[in-house]
Amino acid sequence: MPEPELIEIPMTVDVPYRFSAGHFMGRFLTELRDNGTFFGIRCPRCGRVQMPPRVVCAVCHVPNTDWVKLGLEGTLAGFTIMYLPLTDPTTGKPHEPPFAYGSVRLDGSDSVVDHLLHVTPEVAHIWVGMRLRAVLRPQKDRIGDLSDIRYFEPLENQQKPEPKPSRKEPSDAR
Amino acid sequence: MKRNVAIIGGGQTRHAARRHDVNQVELVNEAVRAALEDARMTMEEIDTVLLGNMEFFEGCHMTDCWMADGSGAYGKPGLKITTGGTVGATIVCAGAHHVASGLFDKVLCIGFEKQEEGDTGAILSGVAHPLYGRSMAGAAVGYFAMMATSYMAAWGAREIHSAMVAVKARQNARKNPYAHLKLDITIQDVLNSRMLAYPIRMLDMCPASNGACAMILADEKTARDRCEKPVWIRAMDSAHNEQFELDWRDVTTQKPIFSKVSAARLYRKLGVERPADYFDVFEIYEPATWAEMVWYENLGLCEPGEGFRMIEKGMTEIEGPIPVNPSGGVLSTNCIGASAMLRVWEAALQIRGDAGEHQVPKPVRRALTTAYGGTNWTVLMALSAAARD
Repeated sequence: MPEPELIEIPMTVDVPYRFSAGHFMGRFLTELRDNGTFFGIRCPRCGRVQMPPRVVCAVCHVPNTDWVKLGLEGTLAGFTIMYLPLTDPTTGKPHEPPFAYGSVRLDGSDSVVDHLLHVTPEVAHIWVGMRLRAVLRPQKDRIGDLSDIRYFEPLENQQKPEPKPSRKEPSDAR
Repeated sequence: MKRNVAIIGGGQTRHAARRHDVNQVELVNEAVRAALEDARMTMEEIDTVLLGNMEFFEGCHMTDCWMADGSGAYGKPGLKITTGGTVGATIVCAGAHHVASGLFDKVLCIGFEKQEEGDTGAILSGVAHPLYGRSMAGAAVGYFAMMATSYMAAWGAREIHSAMVAVKARQNARKNPYAHLKLDITIQDVLNSRMLAYPIRMLDMCPASNGACAMILADEKTARDRCEKPVWIRAMDSAHNEQFELDWRDVTTQKPIFSKVSAARLYRKLGVERPADYFDVFEIYEPATWAEMVWYENLGLCEPGEGFRMIEKGMTEIEGPIPVNPSGGVLSTNCIGASAMLRVWEAALQIRGDAGEHQVPKPVRRALTTAYGGTNWTVLMALSAAARD
């Protein structure tokens, strides 16, 4: 028998979903939509403030009860500058590269939120520890979704700190 | 463990970016046949088959059902297991528990992935919560880029250090006939490669591979009767993290995160005080260069913040005192559903002395393997040449 032709069959699977936000995420999203505020929830045992709010503290496994109103400002805990046209899975459209995004810890929260950073996408303009503020959609346009946060922008009058003391450049021994 | 468990055979496919010469079942069967041949067994002798891969990467659910021919599961009890990137090790763990409990004597474990058939980035985004953070969750590269910026800011490491990890992996892979990326590269090549997500460049990331791995586990009597060089599973541990938290990406976190918790528990089971001395070789799950340096620290091979100095000093080279990933690791081959099993299988080959050109030159008696995946989950396994060690 001759070698078979190696064929491939293209196919697209498109599945619609409807996700329930539930009690805790539901309140978080409606507060964001209606009042432009972030809410976390404090564990009654360990005191950890978690955002988004959730049914129990994963560490202590006790029900979370204590709602905590958080501000719009926070600190950058980690970031990247993306050079790939990453598809936004919630819209199916690519984010235009290069763009910066990072993990922001809101003041008073132990958690972070990952979002776009409204900065020049260059290392000189972004650093771990940078102070940021959430910029929301105008109230009339908010829909009760994390996309109601347009981006985080830097607070005024900040300077990137000097890098850690540099060490001797290791040579390429290979 | 109630009964001792040994690895009595295994096998892997040729791993590559393109394997359109086989379909999914044929790919799995390639590894199954290699494992049976290695163990000198026939399918009739296998009691049960455990199989796993990444959920829906290939667009198929219940792969255990419709692969029953190629996997050998026809007419046998079995399970499909899926735990994200850790799945390959979870399957071995589950197999070992089935043997240790006395339920079965001979278990065939299979992990596979045929990434070319689907859209890895699209399906991976389904790992993120649908209502919180998914819009930024298109690729693993961004996740590890954040770990990298955290690591650089905290410890003063630089891109050259991750480049050293990248070179070590691909130079080791050149000695491994099954590896996907066998690249003769230098540090400068890595630093010149395309920036994907600062500071991660093309050569800092794992490839998207197609491939499978299969392993046969057995009880002590079968192992001693049937196998010249059984490799014993001495201890296993796994730990979950919660979602929504930075954890592995914040290298200074004081939280008891999965990797440290699991290592501490496993070391306690075995009475390990100095893991770098106790184990002779490590096969770890490093989808990106920076994750390798974080693993060194989380496993206690060095102090926090010292991981980049270990690679700088060449301590984890094949010839080094603490060899890590002589196979080339996940950075050289990432057929995800098989990747964590490949860590265990490659460690077993090292203990058998059968790793060929990438065999560690020093005597290898004990090995430690890690897995990584899911919402920050790991599965660790300690292997030994001796059942009672």
